Amino acid sequence: MSSFKRKDPSKQSNLKSYEGTRVSPASSSTINTSTGISSLDDILGGGLPLSCSLVIAAPDLHSSYGELVQKYWVAEGLACGHRVCVIDDYAEDFLRDLMWYPKSTLSVASEATSGGIKEKEGPLGSTFEDEEDEPTPTDRKVKIAWRYEQMKPFQTTVSTPSLTSENYCHVFDLTSRVPTPVVNEKLVSGKLSLLAPGNPNRTGGATMSALRQVEQVLQEQSTVPIRICIPSLGSPATWGDITPSNALQFLHSLRGLLRKYPHGCASITLAPHLSSDNWSGSGWLQKVGWVTDASLTLAAFSADPALSATFPSHHGIVHITALPSPSTLVAPSDRFSTLRGLASSASGFGGSGENNLAFKCTRKRLIFETLHLDLDGGVSERRTSAPSSTAVELTTATGTSISASAAAKSHDHSQGTCNDHVSSGGPRIDIEFEGPAVPEEKKAVVAGELIAPSPQPETRPKKPKKKVAFFSDRPDVYDF
Amino acid sequence: MFSPFDIPSGAFTLITDELSAPADFLLHGAVNACLKEQATKARVPGLRAKPESGAGPMVLVLSSLVDLAKWKAVASKQNVNLTQHITNGTVKFVDVASTEGSEMVLSEAFNSVSEIIRSSSSEISERLVILDDVSTLEWIGFSPLDIMRFVRALRIACHKANWTFIVRYHVVTPNEVDEQLQQLLGICTYHLDVRPLYSGRSGAVSGEIALHLGAAARQDEVKLIKRSGSLQYRLLDTGPVYFQKGTSEGVL
Repeated sequence: MSSFKRKDPSKQSNLKSYEGTRVSPASSSTINTSTGISSLDDILGGGLPLSCSLVIAAPDLHSSYGELVQKYWVAEGLACGHRVCVIDDYAEDFLRDLMWYPKSTLSVASEATSGGIKEKEGPLGSTFEDEEDEPTPTDRKVKIAWRYEQMKPFQTTVSTPSLTSENYCHVFDLTSRVPTPVVNEKLVSGKLSLLAPGNPNRTGGATMSALRQVEQVLQEQSTVPIRICIPSLGSPATWGDITPSNALQFLHSLRGLLRKYPHGCASITLAPHLSSDNWSGSGWLQKVGWVTDASLTLAAFSADPALSATFPSHHGIVHITALPSPSTLVAPSDRFSTLRGLASSASGFGGSGENNLAFKCTRKRLIFETLHLDLDGGVSERRTSAPSSTAVELTTATGTSISASAAAKSHDHSQGTCNDHVSSGGPRIDIEFEGPAVPEEKKAVVAGELIAPSPQPETRPKKPKKKVAFFSDRPDVYDF
Repeated sequence: MFSPFDIPSGAFTLITDELSAPADFLLHGAVNACLKEQATKARVPGLRAKPESGAGPMVLVLSSLVDLAKWKAVASKQNVNLTQHITNGTVKFVDVASTEGSEMVLSEAFNSVSEIIRSSSSEISERLVILDDVSTLEWIGFSPLDIMRFVRALRIACHKANWTFIVRYHVVTPNEVDEQLQQLLGICTYHLDVRPLYSGRSGAVSGEIALHLGAAARQDEVKLIKRSGSLQYRLLDTGPVYFQKGTSEGVL
């Protein structure tokens, strides 16, 4: 008897198809759910698979990017119609801050029919990017060398899906909050539940009680995917004093529960003191990576001024510890992630390493991007401080070169000081203006990508020269 | 038993791995190879017939988390129907981390496993026990002493019945050898060390493997692989592709 078995098409798709999910490209038996952030979905290989757990470590005490990722997770769950459980003592405050659809979508959606929306607005997602990240096309009048004309603009992240596409990875706007009636309606209908671990005084009590409650929720029904969200595992207020063994046992048992009830998935952020690699001796994050399916660290720059000066357009670096592969030996992310870049390197000859990843939080959304170092020495190092008479020309040249080279990495020059101080990490340049006519022109060029350029006073008082962290004492090599 | 390493059956092999280069593929490979070999023997006339049910399982997987879906999915990619083997009783998965009540002891798990080993007939020579994995058991709260006793007792039981014993251990601090690893290295016969590339993740090479003699090995009947000349592999969905370090045969 041959060992070849004909694939029976009737048996092929015996998987339940849930709304708001997608089948993984790597394996037809894996179903992915979106985290709400399209670039994070890409890093995970299409989304977080059902029956998997994701742990985000956010070691920075001064920022809450980890919690922001959880808010996206919950908002996406509410938008897809999944059952969402938030496990935290302060879950109500957490929910009040959830992001929601952009206001313009809501107003359009209320008047148009579902079919009409498609033609009316087009992909609003790309408009966000246009506003903030890329210079508008009218500014790109600079003639690029002919050989580069056909090239696509340098992209550091995946594009946001358009609003009208399937019920997966909705576009949220950080400036708009979820309406209270929506939350109340979900709470009443049972689509959203808030669980408090309880028993924080007994060591290990909170984790055991949380596991019991999670198991109850998972047992209830299996028609709709269930998203478990733990915004801050290990925070003393909710969880009490948690020992490393408790935490690992909790994560391990949670993973076991998710395997037992494969319509559930969980996303957990560790409290800042639990997110450092040195908690409980070395190798802590590796241990967390072993007992969960996916594990990322969002190391924000807030506490480190040198790093924020080196990468002014990002807010932190992403370290990937583990990636989900629930039914394959190779994680789907290795093959399908555009951001990580392994797929493209593996198919060719030789293999380069994967891209460095960073994240930034703009006014409207959180984006994960590839992180690229400047050209050797920094782009600005080749420029010298211009004499005041040529302020305009130099500015034009540097203005466009800044926007061209940094279109991908820097859209957010320091607020209000861009007119007399242009720097991106290298030695600073001071450009002084001659008269009131100049700021208008310069404003148009350099601030073309800014949403709201700051108003210029008629006469500018002399400001003291600003110093940044990087300051090269040696004479510039390219002093022309 | 283990291709391309010619580790003889009945040996105690310790597999160490790291998070960036997990050794799941070795375990899956060992189980699938064992099952395929048995299936091949059963088909060849003249050799002993397929063992009847009641002869005991050929493969015992003791795990801290039994993820049947993944085992089945990976086995199907390598053309092994694991569901059927589980129904036949040829493969048995045991969850050693489930605890009744609040006591975390491994004695119960050991009793049931040793019973299975003892009651299996000696018809089939190639039997396999996999303990996956020792480090997770320690992290979730079992006492290190209990775990070492469990491992030693299992090793003796397997040795008596001539079963191959494989234990997996996760290394979280690559440059330090902790106490449990030291003890394991002291009793193993062979040590398969799976490590990621020093230069980080690469698209073409997933990691490298070295094979060392353990303290309990008698003489080197097996060709060893030193760390400096380790075998590199690239992981595909159907399994690993091995190639010598520095070459690119069959991969690139």
